[in-house]
Amino acid sequence: MIGNIIILTINDLAIAFKNKTFLLILFIPLFVFVTLNLVDDAGSGPDKIRIGLIQQETLAPDIVQSIRAAEQLVELTWLANVDEGNRLLKERQIDGILTRNDAATGSLELLVLKRDSVQTLAILQTFSALQKVAEGARPDWITNVSSLHESDVQRETLPTWVLMLVLLIGFVILPAQVAEEKEKKLLLALLQTPINEVQWLAAKVLLGMLLILTAVVFLHVLGQFGPVHLVDYVAILLAGSFCFSAFGVFLGFLCRTQASARTLGVIFYLPHLLPSAMSDVSQQLTAVAPLLPSYQLYKPLQSILLENASLTDMAFDWVYLILLGLLMFWFSYLLMKRRWLM
Amino acid sequence: MQLIVENLAKLYDKKRGLAATSFEVETGELIAIVGHNGAGKSTLLKMLGNWIIPDDGTVTIDGFGLANRKAIIGKVGFIPEVPNLFDFFSVEYNLKLFALLSHTPFSRVEVILREFSLLPFRKSKVQSLSKGLKQRVNIGRALLADPAILLLDEPTSGLDFEMTREIYRLLQAMHSAGKTIIFTSHRPEEIKNLATRIMVLHESRLVFDGLPHAYFQSEIHERLYAL
Repeated sequence: MIGNIIILTINDLAIAFKNKTFLLILFIPLFVFVTLNLVDDAGSGPDKIRIGLIQQETLAPDIVQSIRAAEQLVELTWLANVDEGNRLLKERQIDGILTRNDAATGSLELLVLKRDSVQTLAILQTFSALQKVAEGARPDWITNVSSLHESDVQRETLPTWVLMLVLLIGFVILPAQVAEEKEKKLLLALLQTPINEVQWLAAKVLLGMLLILTAVVFLHVLGQFGPVHLVDYVAILLAGSFCFSAFGVFLGFLCRTQASARTLGVIFYLPHLLPSAMSDVSQQLTAVAPLLPSYQLYKPLQSILLENASLTDMAFDWVYLILLGLLMFWFSYLLMKRRWLM
Repeated sequence: MQLIVENLAKLYDKKRGLAATSFEVETGELIAIVGHNGAGKSTLLKMLGNWIIPDDGTVTIDGFGLANRKAIIGKVGFIPEVPNLFDFFSVEYNLKLFALLSHTPFSRVEVILREFSLLPFRKSKVQSLSKGLKQRVNIGRALLADPAILLLDEPTSGLDFEMTREIYRLLQAMHSAGKTIIFTSHRPEEIKNLATRIMVLHESRLVFDGLPHAYFQSEIHERLYAL
């Protein structure tokens, strides 16, 4: 059984090389460019900013009073300590933590997830307005902004790139390859040999996983960055590549031709990619993104790559991806057994 | 080898396809299934090859149903109208790939290449071959596992006169070697001297099943193919 799967996978890889599938991966920078141009328009920032204050820390009374008074603009959360604040920040339950800035008496330091996000801008604008109302033109309350994500733009966008690769291969390349084998009756020719449905499906999913892993490794080699928790990163990547490869094979089975498979693939690709990848720059997208399976991959990728988190914090996401992948594998098996659109 | 078809049916939108059909096939028969386009020939053949699942009825080969893949595998070779080969790769690659998957020794590939006069094309990419040559490779590939029954769907479709004669010569040779062959055609005159039995499908129903000379003298032939 394993022998047949390996032979089929090698054959599939040879096809992927011959039909220039690998070249397709080079088009990803174009997708990045388009996505970066789709960030929120000016003025469409969050309605209310969510700020955390440390209970034990003594802040200037007029600042605390102003924050409390501005309940239409600011949602205040009292934190037991900085660790709790960091956790809530990573979980996107608050937008920033205000602490005393010891370097400048009477002023504050703002800790955010990303320095250049819409949330950060909204916090700075809100506090600037509050200060004007309270004090007129005195020195700014917030005199320093630091962030949990202390890295360059390339690394900041790495989770998006990885998600793109996974979804591109899962939703566009694999369905087309599956539909092609159906359209050209190659699948039926293979089923005349001792290969069974499960072996064929396993080979296709394995092909998807190999393509994804190859592309991601290539990306890391190019960018010369690696995750702190390598094993956790590989584990979530394997789960994600399995899930979306199985998803892609299923989409391929819903189509009779390559052309329709590509169309269906793109229909699934963009809605899965954009809300997840852009969830950090829009509150509305942050609300929508968790509804998509892609977010269960994106969130752990981001936490591992940018916040040095470990997989133990993301067991749910890992199990979710594996279960969804198994479900898609099973659906594909049922369609294959029924010779669906063959 | 005995193939038994009982009440086999597959209807698309209640008209096209095949209405309940029964017949038996014995070892060594060379059967031509004849009929106009849409008569149900390909549907019948694909069900025999386990390519489409029937709505009703059964097909058994030596007592085993088609659902019993382990018992059936290797006993039936199906050759579709359009050659289903990996176009990017050579003739030899295609044959060796299927030999590997069928657990057939590579020496069998050499035999097929020789018997089907494919030795000069062994390194040629399939996509560069003519349709006739592709069909030869396709038939050769189906024979790798040495199946007892060969099913061919319109094997000469789109081929010129010479290539059509070549394919019929191959069918004759395989029949002489003891294979049971069932193929479809919508040009009965062409297979007059080839088939040992003719089955005629018309509007999804089997309307004739008998010897070729009986068919060509029948009223059915007159009615369906009268000029």
